[in-house]
Amino acid sequence: MTKRIPLIARDLKQLYTVFLIVAIVLFAVCSYLTNFNVMTLIANGDAFWEFITEDFLPPALPKSSRIPGILSSVLVTLALAMSATTIAAILAFFVSLFGSEKVSPFPKAAKFVRGFATFLRNIPALVWAFILFSSLGIGTGVGFVALCITSFAFMVRAFVETMEDVSQDCVESLQAVGATFPQRVSQAILPSCLSGFLSWFLYCVEINIRASTIVGMVGGGGVGLTLFSYIKGFQYDIALSIILLIAVMVIVVDQVTGKLRKEILK
Amino acid sequence: MEPILKFDRVSKHYPNGVHALKEVSLEVTEGEFISVIGPSGSGKSTLLRAINRLIPISGGTVWLDGQTVSNQHGKGLREQRRKVGMIFQNYNLVYSLSVLQNVLHGRLGYMNGFQGVFGLYREKDKREALDLLKELGLEQFSYNRASDLSGGQKQRVGIARAIMQNPKLLLCDEPIASLDPSSAKTIMELLRDMTQKRNIACIVNLHQLDVALKYSTRIIGLSKGEIVFDGTPAQLNDEMIEKIYGTSRENLMIGGNDDDKADTADCA
Amino acid sequence: MNLNSNETAFEINLKPAVAKRTARIPVKCKQKNRFIPVFLGTVAVLTILSLWYLEIDWGKMASRIPDVGEVFWDLAHLDFANMDLVFSSLVETISIAVLSLLYSLILGIIFGMLAAKNVFRIPVLSVVTQSFFTFLRAVPTPVWVLLMLVCLGMGPEAGVAGLCVHTTAFFTKSFAQSFENIPDETIEALEATGANRLSIFTNAILPAALPQIVAWAGMRLETNFSECAILGMVGAGGIGYVISNSLQGYDYGTAGVAILLVFLVAYCIERIFVRIKKKFS
Repeated sequence: MTKRIPLIARDLKQLYTVFLIVAIVLFAVCSYLTNFNVMTLIANGDAFWEFITEDFLPPALPKSSRIPGILSSVLVTLALAMSATTIAAILAFFVSLFGSEKVSPFPKAAKFVRGFATFLRNIPALVWAFILFSSLGIGTGVGFVALCITSFAFMVRAFVETMEDVSQDCVESLQAVGATFPQRVSQAILPSCLSGFLSWFLYCVEINIRASTIVGMVGGGGVGLTLFSYIKGFQYDIALSIILLIAVMVIVVDQVTGKLRKEILK
Repeated sequence: MEPILKFDRVSKHYPNGVHALKEVSLEVTEGEFISVIGPSGSGKSTLLRAINRLIPISGGTVWLDGQTVSNQHGKGLREQRRKVGMIFQNYNLVYSLSVLQNVLHGRLGYMNGFQGVFGLYREKDKREALDLLKELGLEQFSYNRASDLSGGQKQRVGIARAIMQNPKLLLCDEPIASLDPSSAKTIMELLRDMTQKRNIACIVNLHQLDVALKYSTRIIGLSKGEIVFDGTPAQLNDEMIEKIYGTSRENLMIGGNDDDKADTADCA
Repeated sequence: MNLNSNETAFEINLKPAVAKRTARIPVKCKQKNRFIPVFLGTVAVLTILSLWYLEIDWGKMASRIPDVGEVFWDLAHLDFANMDLVFSSLVETISIAVLSLLYSLILGIIFGMLAAKNVFRIPVLSVVTQSFFTFLRAVPTPVWVLLMLVCLGMGPEAGVAGLCVHTTAFFTKSFAQSFENIPDETIEALEATGANRLSIFTNAILPAALPQIVAWAGMRLETNFSECAILGMVGAGGIGYVISNSLQGYDYGTAGVAILLVFLVAYCIERIFVRIKKKFS
């Protein structure tokens, strides 16, 4: 036997080979375009470690007079995420009713509602923030609106999908009974989808905690802005303690929402 | 003749307080086909897994092929394990891989780190695996995904994987419990024929008494972690059955006494 | 005030379910999730408190709404004069997203292997890896990119490295989860053949988890692109820089083109991913 015995079927092998080649080509092209090279990164490793060990570590506390301000900025970030998500969820609920062909009283408009949501969603929150900054000026209010827009669009899609998954049959049967649109919403959709909606809402809170930190960095206020100013001021050791603070905040929120989700889906 | 396997007062306590094995001693020699029977929770699974140390034992010694297993770690343990093939109730194949790859998994214990990690099997091994699949009647499925096969076919792949190890001993943990009666019969016959041909000792955990009686050269009865019966199928009388299962024979679903009737699968 | 009325409203809602027969006949089933009304009430209270705490000047914002319309009107006047700059920075952004995805894929498999409890069976190792990457994941990507900018200097390297941190952390967690979903019996079967732990991982666990890995990677590409698009705004290069720069320079036409392109690419990735997901299920 000179020919090697293959291990897997030929068509599967071809598929894998194509995948591998595509990945390698992509890798090569992207590396060329961005001029990114791991080797130079590793060669510069010393500078990198020096930065971490000398500028970054150990974390330092800011002046004690600044601490209450930093803590209140954490509260701003949390409040921003919380209020923006709730307002967006309420709006998204009403809009999503018109986004599903099966539920909406105007099925023909459903596509447009979804298309609009897709447009809003596929532009990152920070881009919205920048557009709004240039018209409304810098401030927490703009951060609030920017977060609202993306989470609204995200939840419209999620709510429509939940409705189409869960309540198709019962909406149909209520329609057969002759229920009006508000009756269908309150008697069929809300009871069967509420826990699903709330689960998505919690997920959105998780996302928005991170997003509000980021929006804050470019002018939305909150702990993001505080961190940004310390990094720009070369006080990396203090920045590290704020990063740790952000991490704790995010982890705590994730834990809490995880627990709540379990309760809701019970 | 030198025993392949020797248990010397082996016991196993689980952390939850269960004594799965209580000072069990036994010897197995080449070419034996042993059925281990007993009610659920009598320690059959623990007994089998104590042999290749999938479950570490708490007392006593296990000798395999003249060497102790119980104090082995790392490489030594892996070298002992590859002498013992194992077949499972749920086949435990990697279903996203081809049948041939699953069979070749049996060779992993013989390969060095690099070859093993990247699955670079030798041509000789691949040829052997294909021959084995031919012997088991699965030749045309060699390049199918393992998930495409039926239950009986999956178990045959399991047998092929175990035989690929070139084992001295084959352990079968309820090999036919998830199979339909006719596949169960095929599997039991394959197990008997293949082990006889290669002179491999075989230990089978069974729930089906009639199957045990039909195929084995020796039967071991376990009850609450102790061996209460050890002898030929002919010696297994009603009194012994009662001792093993703790209830009289009339209360047991033994399966057809008629040997040709293969209604073995659904029995207790 | 609002708070109280909310809670009493929920109490009234609950009453029919517990009321005795003599009262109105209840129609709802008795094991209703009591938690949901409480949850809704708390959310309402927290939201009101948050809005109060934020002290947003709504009047000022409302007065400027006409400006918003104006900005959108200006954005809609697409200006293709700087097309080559927009296009090259878009390509750069996509490259950064793809490259960081590929690097993280490899790193994620390696660290996921360490983090999964069933691969090496060393509990300390998996706990340490898991918690380290939980920390990395909790910090938003732009923060990492900012720090990378500081130590690597301006350029795509900082973008790739910064994105890699978060993406690797995400993959580590999700891959470890996929690995842990592989049934223990399958691993036991390979253990019984005498294979070492690394061989078991590459020959059984990895191939079995491959479809899930592909799904995670597809999902992550979507996120990485939009993350990448905003990185420019905190100082790294790419399309985000073009957007923020032209917005700040009142060059709304160019910004409009760039935003439209970001939308189109994100939308295409989403559609492709939906297709792939349908094929898998």
